[in-house]
Amino acid sequence: MRSRTRSVLATTAGLLIAVMMASAAYAQSATSAASSGGDDVVLRVGVIADLDTDNVFAVSAGSDYTVATSEYDMMLSFSSTDLTAAPGLATGCDHNGSYTTWTCHIRPDLKWSDGQPLTSEDIAFTYRLVIDNNIPQYKAYFPSDPTFETPDPTTLIWKAKAPTFAPSMPPWVYIVPEHIWAPYDGKDLKTIRSVSQTPGVGSGPFILSSWTPGQSFVMTRNPNYWGPTPTLDRIEYSVYTNQEAMIQALKNGEIDAVDGLQPSLINSVQNTPNIALQKVVSDWWLNLAFNFGGQAGSTYTPLPALHDLTVRKAIETAIDKQAIVQKVYQGAATTGDTIVRPASSYWHLDIPSDKEFPYSPSDANQLLDQAGYADTNNDGIREDPKTGQPLEMRIPASTDTTGAEEAGELIVGYLKQIGIKVDLLPATDAKMNDYWGSGNFDAYIWYWSGDPDPNYQLFVFTSDQCGAWSDGCWQDSHFDNLYEEQHVEMNQTKRQQLVKEAQQYEYDQVPGVVLAYPNWLEAYRTDRFTGWVGQPGPDGYLLPTYNYDTWLSLKPIGETSSGGSSGIPGWIWLVAAVVVVGIVVVVMRRGRKIEPDEA
Amino acid sequence: MGSRRYLLSKCLQAVVTLWFVLTFNFFLFRVLPGDPIGLLARSEHFTPEDVARLRHDQGLDLPMAEQYVVYLKDIATGNLGESLRTGIPVNELIGSRMRPTVLLVGLGTILASWLGVLIGIRGGWRRGSRFDTTSQYSSLVLYAMPEGWLGMLLLLFFSGWLHWFPAGGYASADETGVAYLVDLLDHLFLPLLTLTLGYIGGYAIVMRSSMIDTINEDFVHTARAKGVPDRLVRRKHVVPNAFLPSFTLIILSFGFVLGGAIVIETVYSWPGLGLLTYNAINTKDYPVIQGVFLIASAAVILANLVADITYGYLDPRIKQA
Repeated sequence: MRSRTRSVLATTAGLLIAVMMASAAYAQSATSAASSGGDDVVLRVGVIADLDTDNVFAVSAGSDYTVATSEYDMMLSFSSTDLTAAPGLATGCDHNGSYTTWTCHIRPDLKWSDGQPLTSEDIAFTYRLVIDNNIPQYKAYFPSDPTFETPDPTTLIWKAKAPTFAPSMPPWVYIVPEHIWAPYDGKDLKTIRSVSQTPGVGSGPFILSSWTPGQSFVMTRNPNYWGPTPTLDRIEYSVYTNQEAMIQALKNGEIDAVDGLQPSLINSVQNTPNIALQKVVSDWWLNLAFNFGGQAGSTYTPLPALHDLTVRKAIETAIDKQAIVQKVYQGAATTGDTIVRPASSYWHLDIPSDKEFPYSPSDANQLLDQAGYADTNNDGIREDPKTGQPLEMRIPASTDTTGAEEAGELIVGYLKQIGIKVDLLPATDAKMNDYWGSGNFDAYIWYWSGDPDPNYQLFVFTSDQCGAWSDGCWQDSHFDNLYEEQHVEMNQTKRQQLVKEAQQYEYDQVPGVVLAYPNWLEAYRTDRFTGWVGQPGPDGYLLPTYNYDTWLSLKPIGETSSGGSSGIPGWIWLVAAVVVVGIVVVVMRRGRKIEPDEA
Repeated sequence: MGSRRYLLSKCLQAVVTLWFVLTFNFFLFRVLPGDPIGLLARSEHFTPEDVARLRHDQGLDLPMAEQYVVYLKDIATGNLGESLRTGIPVNELIGSRMRPTVLLVGLGTILASWLGVLIGIRGGWRRGSRFDTTSQYSSLVLYAMPEGWLGMLLLLFFSGWLHWFPAGGYASADETGVAYLVDLLDHLFLPLLTLTLGYIGGYAIVMRSSMIDTINEDFVHTARAKGVPDRLVRRKHVVPNAFLPSFTLIILSFGFVLGGAIVIETVYSWPGLGLLTYNAINTKDYPVIQGVFLIASAAVILANLVADITYGYLDPRIKQA
């Protein structure tokens, strides 16, 4: 039957193919145009975490810090070697012997990206703004009520009411221009946090020049940067919500590097030509935290047996951390031990093997047997000899933390082997927050991360933090004393000893189990740029996290800007063109045949 | 008079539905577990006082009833608030995500409904033919296929294996003018193809069944008995009557455009409203969730209203009922 529908269908199909061809035709030209970026040297980075804010007083997630670290300097930076203090806007700071006054030497002739001079006054302004306006992210870097004096543009004097090593920690506070931020000083926190800074004015090597939320953000070279001129002209970040697609884009050459891969994708990039995988030394840890109860307003009574160190030791001994590393993180992690992560290599204690609790279900069972935790009713679950209560635990596990839920599933099995029943409760971070705040759990699996300096990480385990940042209200006066001692110890070597002692003590007391130190995963094309700088050390982050050294040393390899999806080959064009022409001819012929019928 | 009453009652129903949706959205997100501010402040150095301060800034420390009044007042003045996470006004966020979504889902709906209806007409008219059998099975397969899976297959094939199209994203940031348009089309192709294929089956199936029902109506037999040519029977008698269910489906689908296509937008990293919703739900960003739901619900209610009114005119029996 000669039908108009057929004609319309055929025309539509033809049009679709034409659109496809046109679009694909554009693919080649568009991609080559996009990757060449004219004569500019452009690095393209794929990220999973979108930029949440361009405001340094509201930073909270990964990409926020990446941008802020590239755009702004700190007074002192972090060394790429071991994350200790390194020259930033200041070349260094000297103390007065009693550690109450520090004199910092600011580099001369500094300029902001808009050409305005950058002096010690900008640094003092930033610090005062943080303190006076109680900026949550930064205010803890200023203990002992410090005041700041600026006798000249290259000198900042930091005076504290008690001895402090705060200036040399160094404070992770991005220095902002006074001439831009002065109007917001004294406003409420909501106003300060909502000031948009695109395009920004900073002192770092790259300035955020454009940002389309959910899509991309671009950083452009700062012409007034005080250090060596980077080879890169621009860094373009593309936001991907699909990890597989991001890997595909890297393989296609649409992007040069990716940040934040899931461990399950390691096999997709390993042994791929021209792609290198960076397993970044961990700066966070997966934590099984026990709840000791005592949170204000909590109506839940956590398992009393958890107050017994033997039970906690048995749990730690029953958990196969190596299996968690292999099965959950595909080997992209190391087994956990202390609450100071390995990235802070100067402070981290590697627990000596003779002081470790090695994985041994039989030892764990023996510990519980000896302590009288027997399975009196033969239901496979031990009972507490004091209360007769079965050893059953509610363990929420964060589904937003890589590997937490999967590790939880393994732990259910490990604890079953020693007669402890686990009710695993997978929960989003929002729900985890509820469990944590209400104390409605026996243990939970979540994560911790922190500054390179261990002070804060130790602080959250002190007794006073119950109801604030403590996981499960572990309260131990000996640990509190160790924290205080290291907090006031000004001699760095002695402090290092105290920090390590605190770690060993915490490990022995098992207020929780540090399950693993998962690696952060980055990947990059080896045929595009060379000169990636890890922080800390060769196994550290390649993309700016603690400092921007990578941006200063990256250099293109030959023609930087080849690549991109390669587009449709010529023979496909030919076939497609023939098909379209064929369809048009058929449709026209049918149209002519239909005409008399319609008359 | 009858028409006016019909119109008024439909408009009133729409307003009441909108109010219900607004109220439901407000309470739903507040009774769900999880504290958005606590989540936001789960970062170093935030003290409980800081958390309380942030909660106060957002008005979340007010009694629920008071929050509700503020919420209604704000919406009445077009103020959807600011994102808890980013501080960006929700109006601005939704505005920036609307274009990609309308482009992808709008265009996908047009293409899928157009092609689907054409396939349904042809299949239904020539029931049992090779075209009908093939199109029916294809429609069922496409209709049943999860969009995310189809998206991944197309992505792996066209981008991963053939390298013809980019693996995701929107247009490149540094393009302008024609180059931007070209780049946009390049990025649009795969998600649009996925969405069109994913939606086409539904339209084809509905139109085909409707055609088959209508073909057996008495007035069609009468037309044929009068000697009206087959082509005209189909065009003038069958299709206009059989199109009514598809018309409703299409209008309602356009209402859903502003809800975005969460799965496809996620697979292709397409920065639309669906993705915004997904991220906002994950981070419990109340103002954003409320804003997106409000826009999406209002669009569906409006589309429903348009369908009701148009239907009334297309089929006068409905107005009289």
